[in-house]
Amino acid sequence: MSIVTVQLGQCGNQIGFEVFDTLFSDSHSSQGLCSKRENEAYQASCKERFFSEEENGVPIARAVLVDMEPKVINQTLSKAAQSGRWKYGQHAYFCQKQGSGNNWAYGYSVHGPRHEESIMNLIQKEVEKCDSLSGFFIIMSMAGGTGSGIGAFVTQNLQDHYAHSLKMNQIIWPYGTGEVIVQNYNSILTLSHLYRSSDALLVHENDAVHKICAKLMNIKQISFSDINQVLAHQLGSVFQPVYSAEGSFHYRRNPLGDLMENLVPHPEFKMLGVRNIPQMSENSLAYSTFTWAGLLKHLRQMLISNAKMEEGIDWQVRPPISGLPPLGKMPLNKELHFNTSIANLAILRGKDVQSADLEGFKDPALYTSWLEPVDAFNVWKTQRAFSKYEKSASLVSNSQFLVKPLDMIVGKAWNMFASKAYLHQYTKFGIEEEDFLDSFTLLEQVVASYYNL
Amino acid sequence: MGRRRRLLVNPAAEAGAGALPKAIAALSRSLPAGPSPEIFRRAKFDRPEAAPALWQLLFRFLSPRSIGGASASLGLEAQACLVKSALRSQGYPRQVLAQLPEDGSRGSRELLLALSWLLARGPVLERLLAQAHVQLGDEMPVCECEAVASTGPPAPHMEAEGPVDIRCVQWLMGRLRFRWRCLTASQQEQCALLSKIHLYTRGCHSDQRLGHLSVAETEMLRDPEGGRQLLRRLEHENAGLEAALQWRRGELVFWRWMDTVLGACPPEAPAAAAQPAFLPRIPERGPGQGELVARELRALQEELCEATERRRAAWEARVGGQGRGPQWSSARQALQKAVDQELAALQWAWEQDRGPARPHGPHRLVRREDEAPGGQDLQAAEVIRVLRSKEACLEAVLRQLQGQCRQELARLAGALPGLIWILPPRR
Repeated sequence: MSIVTVQLGQCGNQIGFEVFDTLFSDSHSSQGLCSKRENEAYQASCKERFFSEEENGVPIARAVLVDMEPKVINQTLSKAAQSGRWKYGQHAYFCQKQGSGNNWAYGYSVHGPRHEESIMNLIQKEVEKCDSLSGFFIIMSMAGGTGSGIGAFVTQNLQDHYAHSLKMNQIIWPYGTGEVIVQNYNSILTLSHLYRSSDALLVHENDAVHKICAKLMNIKQISFSDINQVLAHQLGSVFQPVYSAEGSFHYRRNPLGDLMENLVPHPEFKMLGVRNIPQMSENSLAYSTFTWAGLLKHLRQMLISNAKMEEGIDWQVRPPISGLPPLGKMPLNKELHFNTSIANLAILRGKDVQSADLEGFKDPALYTSWLEPVDAFNVWKTQRAFSKYEKSASLVSNSQFLVKPLDMIVGKAWNMFASKAYLHQYTKFGIEEEDFLDSFTLLEQVVASYYNL
Repeated sequence: MGRRRRLLVNPAAEAGAGALPKAIAALSRSLPAGPSPEIFRRAKFDRPEAAPALWQLLFRFLSPRSIGGASASLGLEAQACLVKSALRSQGYPRQVLAQLPEDGSRGSRELLLALSWLLARGPVLERLLAQAHVQLGDEMPVCECEAVASTGPPAPHMEAEGPVDIRCVQWLMGRLRFRWRCLTASQQEQCALLSKIHLYTRGCHSDQRLGHLSVAETEMLRDPEGGRQLLRRLEHENAGLEAALQWRRGELVFWRWMDTVLGACPPEAPAAAAQPAFLPRIPERGPGQGELVARELRALQEELCEATERRRAAWEARVGGQGRGPQWSSARQALQKAVDQELAALQWAWEQDRGPARPHGPHRLVRREDEAPGGQDLQAAEVIRVLRSKEACLEAVLRQLQGQCRQELARLAGALPGLIWILPPRR
């Protein structure tokens, strides 16, 4: 079943390109460590999901590109076409002649409705090319101006027109030290709108990915391209084909649906994060060997201690001792050391994957009291190696990992709001104080729900 | 338990000595995975080795179609348990069967009696054969009768151990919703692919009325081995149908034989005969509960009567002398007319629904360019129209219920001063 990707704004388009490129390169990689037949099945599954057929054999990404400026879209289209291996649809993009100020409210209330029909038509055309539609990816930044506003509007539209299809927003969480003064307003508006109309919010934190580039990949001058590639790697490791069941050799038809059913069925808990191990530069890769035991041990500790990469993990953090009563309502200012999960999905790819032991993830102490590990933890496997890593493991988790950053952003936004700073930029275009209050209420509720696990 | 079959067949017809074995053999052949005739004979003498096969056969008869695939995974004990509860819910009178051990160690004669009771009550054989019918066309159901009829034995009543966290319930509801959405997506995919196949194979079918191939027919052409398997299944089905016809012709002999089987049973305890049939809907928790419930119902009824009286009095007081006088009579007439119209529309809609031409059962999907409707054919547009009107009715009911819920929530929120209720976000 196919996924249609909507790439929004500069952020969304650049990342989207890297995602498709990673998916394509991996599916055509010769180092899959598996039989030819297996490789062909893998390729076919990946292709059906993310690319459509073309007469002269060059696959076309199932994507719609949207931006208010032509520059990034043109760059993206040409980069893809130049590679000669895959490309975007010739008319699968929408942009305006000139940009239009970095304003969330303008994007949501003006651009969105004005260009609604054109954008939805493009999406409809992509959907019609699919034999079966699993759902949508919407890649966008959270704290941006126009792009984020349009993203929120488009997601709402998708909810109206494709109510039964699944929607996952890939959100880029901004750097903690961002430059845009109103980025916190933008963030809370984006998040609250998406929480209402999307099914899952897969959050990628710029800070975390930046650290991965610096510490693990040893990149000296980190460019956005490097960051996007790491991000694409993480995403690819989740959505490339996996077997449908333990011992099966058929690939899952609807991984998006399965993922959502396992991780985000509760309407209050929609925030997901990805951790991927190992991550290193290609040069180092050639000299490294891994064991499943080692990888999974690190991954588990990364989850518990809320570490984003395998370096600098705090090994002191332990799960609470079982037998004690479960932690009740905690005061909001309590320091959270231990990251409680609601549900986790582990995805293992590579050699000897059948021998990997995941008992550590089935410990009830890792999870909240109202869900049993048998329901809260799921594993997907495939023997086919991903992107030249002989063994790699990813963890998609619905846990408390974002509570503190979110709380911080809401706090900062509230302080600005309380003094009515910069509000006129929003009220000018139809985002009233009421809307801000609704957003604050919703997000406070989300923060409280996650704190009280 | 007396003989429930009326004599429809000429008794002189099949009176030969070989008639009984032939009838039993025909019955055995017509049943899908039916037990051998030897089992029947052994069951008359209550031989233990015949019991397991008969439990399994009864399970096939009584389990809903949907369980069919998973029945292999159910152990004999589980099957026996389900059979007992299903028979009880259908009103099977013999208590001896309810007391049989579920490990299949004995009771074959009782099982044989139960089997013939089911055969005598309704067209069980025909139903099973219809279920096993080999479908050549792309079938789609146009009514919900089968889904309603195949509810099968009631699920075991589960008690929750202690309070359940509501978040867990919300989690499970959410999972159901996601599964339903994925199912919808799969169905849409199926429709898209069916459409493609029907389009591409236009003009390939020898039957002009159909015009194009179905999936099964296309597969048959594409894969010769598949075609041979299909042929074998059709032959098997034909054999079953012929056996069923043969059974129907000779079954009188079987019923006479069943009388002798019944005669061979020890007499039943008299007290047991007086027990009424078990009603599955009302969960039985204990003898005291029924009294409690009855009392509570009476109290509730009194309360309601009082409440309506009070309401009526209050309304009367408010309305007072209004509602009479010339300016009201025209308004009242208009109201009356509007109500009559609505009632007539409702009745008409109801009659439409209950019209004689109501389609039933699965229909074969045929894609056609021309508009001419055949006599027996059902137009997809018509079915869609009926379904849409049903959907609209149900949505109206849903909205009404949701409105009531919201009013109730608002009332609760207003009743507790100093408490702020934050309702979940709603677009």
